[in-house]
Amino acid sequence: MSVVAPDRAVAPVAPAASQPFRPSLAGWLARGLAWAALACLVLILPLGRPGTDLRLYAIAACYAIVALSLNVLLGYVGQISLGHAAFVGIGAFTSAYLVTVQGQSFWVGVLAATAIGAGQALVLGGVSLRIRGLYFALITLSYGLVAEQNIFQIQEFTGGGAGQSAPKPAWFESEWRYYYLCLAFLALVLFVDWRMMRTKGGRALLALRENPRVASTFGINVRLATLFAFGVSGAFAGMAGALIAHGDESVSADVWNFRLSLFFVTMTVVGGLRSRVGLVIGGSFFALLPYLIEKIPGFEDLLARVPGPVDLTPEYATLIIGPLLLLINLIRFPGGIGQQTRPLQRWMTGHRFDPHDRGLKEVQITDVRA
Amino acid sequence: MSDVLQRRGLLIGVGSAILLVAVLWITDQEQSIVIGVVTGSAYGLVALGLVLIYKSSGVFNFAQGEFGSVAVCTLYLLHTSGVPYGVAVVGALVAGALFGFLTERIVIRPLFDAPRVIVLVATAGVALLAIAFQQWLFDNQGRPISRAFPTLDRVTVLRVQISDQRLWLIGTLVVLAVVLGLFFTRTNLGLAIIGASQEPTATELVGISVRRLSTFTWVLAALLGALAAVIAVPDTGSFTPGIMTSGYLIPAFTAAVLGGMTSLPGAFLGGVLIGIVQSVATNAEIFQDIPGTPSTLIVFLVLLAVLVVRPQGLLGRSA
Repeated sequence: MSVVAPDRAVAPVAPAASQPFRPSLAGWLARGLAWAALACLVLILPLGRPGTDLRLYAIAACYAIVALSLNVLLGYVGQISLGHAAFVGIGAFTSAYLVTVQGQSFWVGVLAATAIGAGQALVLGGVSLRIRGLYFALITLSYGLVAEQNIFQIQEFTGGGAGQSAPKPAWFESEWRYYYLCLAFLALVLFVDWRMMRTKGGRALLALRENPRVASTFGINVRLATLFAFGVSGAFAGMAGALIAHGDESVSADVWNFRLSLFFVTMTVVGGLRSRVGLVIGGSFFALLPYLIEKIPGFEDLLARVPGPVDLTPEYATLIIGPLLLLINLIRFPGGIGQQTRPLQRWMTGHRFDPHDRGLKEVQITDVRA
Repeated sequence: MSDVLQRRGLLIGVGSAILLVAVLWITDQEQSIVIGVVTGSAYGLVALGLVLIYKSSGVFNFAQGEFGSVAVCTLYLLHTSGVPYGVAVVGALVAGALFGFLTERIVIRPLFDAPRVIVLVATAGVALLAIAFQQWLFDNQGRPISRAFPTLDRVTVLRVQISDQRLWLIGTLVVLAVVLGLFFTRTNLGLAIIGASQEPTATELVGISVRRLSTFTWVLAALLGALAAVIAVPDTGSFTPGIMTSGYLIPAFTAAVLGGMTSLPGAFLGGVLIGIVQSVATNAEIFQDIPGTPSTLIVFLVLLAVLVVRPQGLLGRSA
């Protein structure tokens, strides 16, 4: 009985598989229009905005890089960093210090920030792998506090209370050029991430997340693969830090704290693990959340009417909305924005629009007990 | 074999504690011994909660600090609205425990079968949410909080001056340690929790509901966190939103790792040790050249050293 049943279930699907779906001419046109609208939204519309807004958009692109960086840990190996603010912050100060104090060029600064980011993550990761479990979370949490209270207190490195200035690179001084530069870096990170997951090392990472023991019986060096992921994640984080520093043109020590680390985790998980589209949307959405709240007409007044001891300003609203979304997301929609927008993504890439296609294969939950 | 190792761990722990106290004593810093032991005990209580939850749910609970912060906020709100201090303390403990109960029911239970890293993110989300509400409630400002004994009468024991507040705290802790010890070795409920943490399947087989125990464990851990906060925070005279996460969670985690992450006595011993180490780091002259707060760096180095040299901790069984 049980042998026959699967055959019956498969039978009606088979002819459809032999004839792949091709959109009609109107379908292609609609998809082309959608792509054009997207390109317009990302590439052309921002040019009409004032410089202060463009600066925010550039930072949003950098936050998308941070989300991709955390995704390497959280989505690919099932480890987590709770000190990502420190990695990003040290990247920011490294680049600012090299450019302002040492007189190096912007490109040297970004490269150094990337290398130092990878180095820190490798050292901390190496120590945490001495013991099975999620000890990377603990070590990075503690390291984040060290960065906040010790490293960022070094006057020469961070420029003290006034912060370290970080000029924009030559030819990229104007806000819109720098915005395109950030988009280019985001594209680079997306490309590296995509190619990485197509290599032997990337597949090893996925196998390892499913079950480390089974992976090691297939000859995967678990420690080496995990360390590799730590290094890649740290490198992305350092690069994003350098870009944020030069985007803001100055870095101050008091923003890189524990809450920012948790904020990074929030945007990564809400964006959707292992979904590049979702991560980019999540990162930029959270970076722009206070700005969006101000832009939606009437929303601010609505917030102000919420009863409370003090007014619910957009700043406090962002602080509360973030973790609320995170918890709802984890409990109800584990795939995040990436999973919810998946039918649209499939349609845009020339497939049939199927509202039930949630790509559930990719969020299978297997218990990797710590 | 593991007994011998454990005894050696206990010797190392107690030995280094005595050594550090002796250093403080010789350098005429008796006062910081008391501060170290009191804050260390608070770390120890938070660490006990962390270990309890780690044993029952297999997850690092990053919301553990916020159970305490919620208690402190309740204490402040009740006391400033005219409730007597003793009643306010009870109210604070109830609020902390209730927060633990709600966290388990609303967030942890639906994630019973999820990967551990996802549950970890969820606890961090709970912490972030609690901190955000406190920031809104207090407009991101610190508030003064009054002590249980505002008179500050001092008693001198062996050159060391101890305020009556701290004397009471140390007394409470001793009683608490005895009660907890008896609870986990003599009562059915305590033994069931230990059993469920060591062998959940076998515990289910003898007819104990592991899920129900999970709720109870979270409430107990939250109560310990609330107790730590009510003991330690008013002693410093003021509090800020999310104080237990920013000031106590990391030392408590270090203490739990130092103790072995699965050992309850180890967690408390680790907490006291970390408290004394912080006292030494704050006062010793050789650390004064470290920029910023020297004790943060020292706690981080202790964490790294434990993981490199002795990953199983002082009293843990195996890595």
